[in-house]
Amino acid sequence: MRLRGYRDSDRDLLAGHWLPGELIGLPLTDRPPLAEPTTVSAPVDDRAELCVADGIGFARFAEVDWVHRRARLEIGLRPDAADAAEQLVGLAVEHGLRVLNLHRVHGWVTPATTPRTDILARAGFQREAVLPDGAWHAGRAVDREIWGMVRHD
Amino acid sequence: MTDLSTTQSTHLSQPAESTTIQPLDPTDAATALHAAGKAARGFLGLDPVTQNEPLLAAELVRLNAMVFRYGDTVVGYVPNTGQPRQGEVATTSAKTEPVRALLAFLDAYRRCTSFVAMVPAGAQAGTAFTGCGFSQVGTLRGHRFQSGGYHDVLVYAGGKPSCHS
Repeated sequence: MRLRGYRDSDRDLLAGHWLPGELIGLPLTDRPPLAEPTTVSAPVDDRAELCVADGIGFARFAEVDWVHRRARLEIGLRPDAADAAEQLVGLAVEHGLRVLNLHRVHGWVTPATTPRTDILARAGFQREAVLPDGAWHAGRAVDREIWGMVRHD
Repeated sequence: MTDLSTTQSTHLSQPAESTTIQPLDPTDAATALHAAGKAARGFLGLDPVTQNEPLLAAELVRLNAMVFRYGDTVVGYVPNTGQPRQGEVATTSAKTEPVRALLAFLDAYRRCTSFVAMVPAGAQAGTAFTGCGFSQVGTLRGHRFQSGGYHDVLVYAGGKPSCHS
């Protein structure tokens, strides 16, 4: 697996049934069948970096701040590519810290969706904050966590 | 600018700025934040010390932020796009009254039921939020670059305002 830049032909990878902005966006099993899929927009300026793993999913660095050298990472995986989550997280972290030269990468995790936090912990992320009622899921407000990693030069 | 009363009764002998919050347009808000100087560092993620007024105004528009003046304090709000009943709030002083007025406004006019504040470690704004019933729910490590080094940002969370009168 390798990450490459986004092309218009990759548009199908940018929509799926995960929570918006989720650090590891795995398709939700209890999503209503008629619910609109979550869609990630293609990058339009230098505030976002969008990378694609062919046939697997995307890794998007949103809210890129070049002064504070940080970005919020969100990853979306195709329904049949859940097993590739750990590898994609590792590639995304490597891209963020080495290619984009970021100091910090963080993302949102929603415990109500039973996220794969074990993958995040192995990649070097730590849970840094818990925001009560920070997201809307399954008809109610649910807690959302911020997981982050810092590069120690 | 329109005065928005956030209290049920206003005593005539009190100065107007102590009981009202005044909405500011992005240009005026940028000017007010720039005037606040170091006290406004980290306000809704902005930095009026290193960002000029046109950039501050553009960032406020991009964030869909609302900014108010309450006396000599500037307070602000950015909606949480993923949860319409939650907003990120900010203040430039340690006073609790401006924050209470902002929370009451957001409760009444935006139907917000919960709030989050991101405060640079050591900033006086933290005192205002803890005084309004917020509690610290986390620390974002190395989230801000300032004065040649990376600094933590403290995360506070609170519910509906406890003081409406």
